[in-house]
Amino acid sequence: MPQPEQSSIRNHLLKALAPGDFALLQPHLQPVTTVLHQPLIEADVPIRQLYFPEVGFGSIVTHGADRKVEVGIVGREGLGGASPILLGTDRTPHEHFVQNAGMMLVIDTEALYAAVAESPRLHTLLLRSIQVQILQTAQTAFANASYTVDIRLARWLLMCHDRLDGDELLLTHEFLSMMLGVQRSSTTLAIQTLEGHRLIRARRGRITILDRAALVAVADDSYGLPEREFARLIKGA
Amino acid sequence: MPRYFFNVRHRPGPAGLAVDPEGEDCADLGAARENALSQARGMIARERHTFVRDWMECAFEIGDEAGELVLTVPFQDTVPDEDPG
Repeated sequence: MPQPEQSSIRNHLLKALAPGDFALLQPHLQPVTTVLHQPLIEADVPIRQLYFPEVGFGSIVTHGADRKVEVGIVGREGLGGASPILLGTDRTPHEHFVQNAGMMLVIDTEALYAAVAESPRLHTLLLRSIQVQILQTAQTAFANASYTVDIRLARWLLMCHDRLDGDELLLTHEFLSMMLGVQRSSTTLAIQTLEGHRLIRARRGRITILDRAALVAVADDSYGLPEREFARLIKGA
Repeated sequence: MPRYFFNVRHRPGPAGLAVDPEGEDCADLGAARENALSQARGMIARERHTFVRDWMECAFEIGDEAGELVLTVPFQDTVPDEDPG
């Protein structure tokens, strides 16, 4: 596959780059199709490639003694791996994998280092995307401290919907319990609550978003802060 | 291993049962009961839902692969019986 033109790019971060900065990255962007649950970045292993999601998105999880819990989502708004690599280390204890299959543009770590060394403007924009990622994780802490599981599910579904083409997510209750860090049966309960209010339709292995506006209302202020900062720092850049 | 379905009863009536469409494999009914108790402990300790006021009024209604109710495990069963001696 040829290198993509900026006009055809779907990743919001790449789209927001000044043409000169995009030109620095473009020769190094390799399109790769992804499959569900494919590992993207392994825990505690040097990161050789970073990824700009074009279609679909990745999930960042932390490993407890006997379970994993999601601590971040990386979709079209971001660059997976930016946080360890641009903050001065070559690895992270967190694992990244494909949560929604599609396509991404990968770039070698060395090529990214060279590009940010050449353009402080590019460096700043990527650092701002890390700030948005930090805000997202902080907002998850706020949601976990302040809101019930059904409201946290509403927020999580909105975050997926933002990074999705269409309205349908393929996932099991088991998987969702890892994403939300709750018991599997808590997911079953939360899904019934949202479905009972006709906000979603759940079938075995899939959830369809029926009423986004109502989900936003249910999610209340658990949702929206990193999304607003993304608009201010990246789209407005 | 047989598959058991961990439906959650949170109030009376059809709307008061959150149906588990996936189930989990457990060695036997005793293991399914342990699974239910373990989940109930985690939910009581850490998890809140908008429409569940009191976990102690909830119960797992465990179904088998034929959809038959095979065991009810009240969340109250997570509380150990008082030791008489």
